[in-house]
Amino acid sequence: MDWRLFATLSEAAGTDEVSLDREEATLREAFDALLETHPDLAAEVLDEDEQLSDHVRLLVDGADPFAETDGWDTVVDEDTELALFPPVSGG
Amino acid sequence: MSDLNLDAAQLDRYSRHVIMDDVGPEGQATLLDSAVLVVGAGGLGSPVIQYLAAAGVGRLGIADADSVERSNLQRQVIHGDDDVGRGKVDSAADFVTALNPDVTVDRHPVRVDPDNAADLVADYDAVVDASDNFPTRFLLNDTCVLADTPLSHGAIYRFEGQATTVTGGQPCYRCLFPQAPPEGAVPDCATAGVLGVLPGVVGAIQATETVKLLLGEGETLSGRLLVYDAGDMTTEEVPVAANPDCPVCGTDPIDSVADVSYTDSCAVPE
Repeated sequence: MDWRLFATLSEAAGTDEVSLDREEATLREAFDALLETHPDLAAEVLDEDEQLSDHVRLLVDGADPFAETDGWDTVVDEDTELALFPPVSGG
Repeated sequence: MSDLNLDAAQLDRYSRHVIMDDVGPEGQATLLDSAVLVVGAGGLGSPVIQYLAAAGVGRLGIADADSVERSNLQRQVIHGDDDVGRGKVDSAADFVTALNPDVTVDRHPVRVDPDNAADLVADYDAVVDASDNFPTRFLLNDTCVLADTPLSHGAIYRFEGQATTVTGGQPCYRCLFPQAPPEGAVPDCATAGVLGVLPGVVGAIQATETVKLLLGEGETLSGRLLVYDAGDMTTEEVPVAANPDCPVCGTDPIDSVADVSYTDSCAVPE
């Protein structure tokens, strides 16, 4: 499974793509693994309660797992593309 | 219904539209009879104003409280070196007048705020968010949704751009991003820098969306966020799902923006 990171998140991680070498995981496990390998991301994507910030969008294969599947329990496999992105404001 | 009689000069000027089945003389007359509010006459606003004026959108409202600075000229292509220090609205209006005498410009040299937003929006068929800050972006989304006025959203960061279109009954910007990031978490162009041509691409997409909205042609970015990466030269499409709990477009929406504080998170109070 691969994480795609956008805008400020790719800058914090130092890369716009992170591959996790796992055949299957829950979304929670995949998210935790991302933060473990790229700890500088935590400040960008977590709020003070250590939850995913309201302004950051997380997608599983282009869909919102919290609306369409099992949220953090969504099972992702080696072919799943995960994405995290913030809004940007420049004009 | 608009006056379908284009004069000889207009038939010539808009001939490449007029011969298209998807526009034709009726579509061109519709554009000439339309009014669009462009909020921000900067990096995104420049190509938006340029192409909407060229297309013959009959009335363009331009809202911007800033003056032209020399550091704007790397990307804000409707302003010139001689315009440094002038109001952006005046500079933009001169550009439009020189390009196309068919277009009337409404000059709004103000910052769009919760007190003036509804009145401004009410006077136009569509709104283009070419602003440069989250408070204005959330305010325009909320105001346009409440007024049922279509909105083209565009935003840029260094090499990346985002664009979506908000139309009546469809998901809005708040469905995607319920609130703004903490101040400083996502820096603006002045802090982060921006590739000069990036707003040219994203603004041209916004102008495209606006013309389509006015003509009722094509598929807009309603329900989709287009993410453009000029660095990789890639685009991604992110679905924007309607949030039934959205405080602006959901099942129990707010009546007005009066109780929303457009500072910090811009969150709608519960």
